[in-house]
Amino acid sequence: MAWRNIWRNKGRSILIILSVAIGLLAGIGVLALYKGMMKSRVKTVIYSEVSHLQIHNPAFKKEEHTAFVIPDGNSMLKAIQSLPEVKYATPRSITQGMLVTTTGSAGVQINGVEPELEDKVSQLKQKLIAGEGFHKNKKNEIIIGKKLADKMKLRLKGKLVLTFTDSADNLVSAAFRVAGIYRSGNAPLEELNLYMPITSLNELLLTGNSFHEIAVLLKNDNELEITQEKLTKAYPSLQIESWKQLSPETDLMVRTVDEYSYIIMIIILIALAFGILNTMLMSVLERTKEIGMMVALGTARARIFLLVLLETIFLTIAGTPIGLLAAYLVTSYFQKQGLDLSGMGKDMMASFGFETTIYPSFPWEKLVTVLVMVIGTSLLSSLLPAWRALRLRPVEALRR
Amino acid sequence: MEKTVIDAHNISKVYNPKMIPVYAVNNVHLHMRQGEFTALVGPSGSGKTTLLNLIGGLDKPDEGNIFINGRDITKLSAGKLIDFRLHNIGFVFQSFNLIPVLTARENAEFIMLLQGAKKKEREKRMNQLFKEIELEDKMNVRPVELSGGQQQRVAVARALASHPQFILADEPTANLDSVSAAHLLDLMQKLNKEENITFLFSTHDQRVIERARRVITLVDGRIATDTAVVPTNVIHPSVAT
Repeated sequence: MAWRNIWRNKGRSILIILSVAIGLLAGIGVLALYKGMMKSRVKTVIYSEVSHLQIHNPAFKKEEHTAFVIPDGNSMLKAIQSLPEVKYATPRSITQGMLVTTTGSAGVQINGVEPELEDKVSQLKQKLIAGEGFHKNKKNEIIIGKKLADKMKLRLKGKLVLTFTDSADNLVSAAFRVAGIYRSGNAPLEELNLYMPITSLNELLLTGNSFHEIAVLLKNDNELEITQEKLTKAYPSLQIESWKQLSPETDLMVRTVDEYSYIIMIIILIALAFGILNTMLMSVLERTKEIGMMVALGTARARIFLLVLLETIFLTIAGTPIGLLAAYLVTSYFQKQGLDLSGMGKDMMASFGFETTIYPSFPWEKLVTVLVMVIGTSLLSSLLPAWRALRLRPVEALRR
Repeated sequence: MEKTVIDAHNISKVYNPKMIPVYAVNNVHLHMRQGEFTALVGPSGSGKTTLLNLIGGLDKPDEGNIFINGRDITKLSAGKLIDFRLHNIGFVFQSFNLIPVLTARENAEFIMLLQGAKKKEREKRMNQLFKEIELEDKMNVRPVELSGGQQQRVAVARALASHPQFILADEPTANLDSVSAAHLLDLMQKLNKEENITFLFSTHDQRVIERARRVITLVDGRIATDTAVVPTNVIHPSVAT
């Protein structure tokens, strides 16, 4: 009877079904977009910025002094590279310094890297938008970020001077040429980080073949915690941090965006609830006499209550597959094509570390929660109409 | 002697008791036995529908008691009253009030479904009732495809489906043409005579009044006359005028 009742007014029922479908499409769309953004951000953080894990001498992190290298770093690097869960591990020498050109100066972080390994770990070469990167037979080459290049008005093959202190606290200055300009999609990092071969930097730092950091890329994201624990046990005197600790703002963003997406979902559902409430109230008011007659004949009030609830559930169930299918199709389309958000401002997106093209990802893991939320909303919004039906007195209802 | 079905004592229903009290039903005594075919007549506003509602347990009197088969329904809670109506009283309304989304047969077996009757039992009863109301070929059509008279006959079948103690009919012929009204009255009379079903109906319709065996006239909520048209042994001495 509930199923037949919903088809009394086809237009109205189709409106509710479409509302549920659009509510689901919008809700899942928002979740998919946020999931895509977060996946992209985390991917950038891991594969382009900090890797899965980083290993440092704790004193280096605390004092930021280049003398605090990783003790016996090379044998440790070999051991880590041979671990089955590790895809790549690369050494880095790091120091803070001053970049000076004819137009001005800027504080920078100078990263000495093994070019081939670095390409594998942080895709440095793939990020180049100008130049070919380091040449084997050329010295004093440097790769800088697009943002820094723009700020310092530096072009490819442009000259710059770097000044920093070596491991013995002597002030060192050296001239370099820009061998490449990279774009990372993370404006703050792009402005700060520049790269040169580790051998060149170590020569200037007087650190021999030592280094300050090992960046570790794992084969599987899910093995992060286990590997971190394993390395911490194996090297208790070193500081081993995962990307979540190295980029706490990303971890926080992932967690808070999850909550924000639910808040947006709730706002969409509130709009849906009012639609259902209004329509079901109308449906009950139109049937006042009929419901009064049913109670007069001996229909228990609980059955009347259930009837209105069931009608809403059926409408929701009818709208749910349509909404899910539409959400799946739309998400799949943009997952392949990408959703260009450059209209929101390329610089603004980059300043938060986001790419401008987002690839939404269908939130399978949240599907049950979303369905429970939609069906729960429908049920909640049908409570008032059902209660109104429940309160009808047959004598008054039959008079209408 | 037929058993007592309805026994109403001093029942009154007052509207606006605190402002200007209006007695829709005023100190009415009514006694009906099994098998009666009684018409409740009177001008508009005389309290016919209110009295039917009180006897049918759709409304509660402000004073007095109503016993149906010896059970005081004025003492029942709202929930128990619904259950009591389901098992004891059949209703026929002026505007048929069939459920439009159900077929004629589903409408008629609606009460049996509420009672939890089994499918076989329902089928048997529906075949019997639709034969009686002569709508066997219309069992599976929706009310909208039936004429007013046919709809009212389905409403009678619905009222009878659960073998109620009696049937209350509020102006059952008011929305029917004369042929349909005559057909309906034939049916109700036949059921009354052959199955000894008790009928109490409010009406303005002279054709209905002519067929009744007892006519109770209400004026301003009081019983003005209570006349036995055929043998008076069906009328309780306490209510005879």
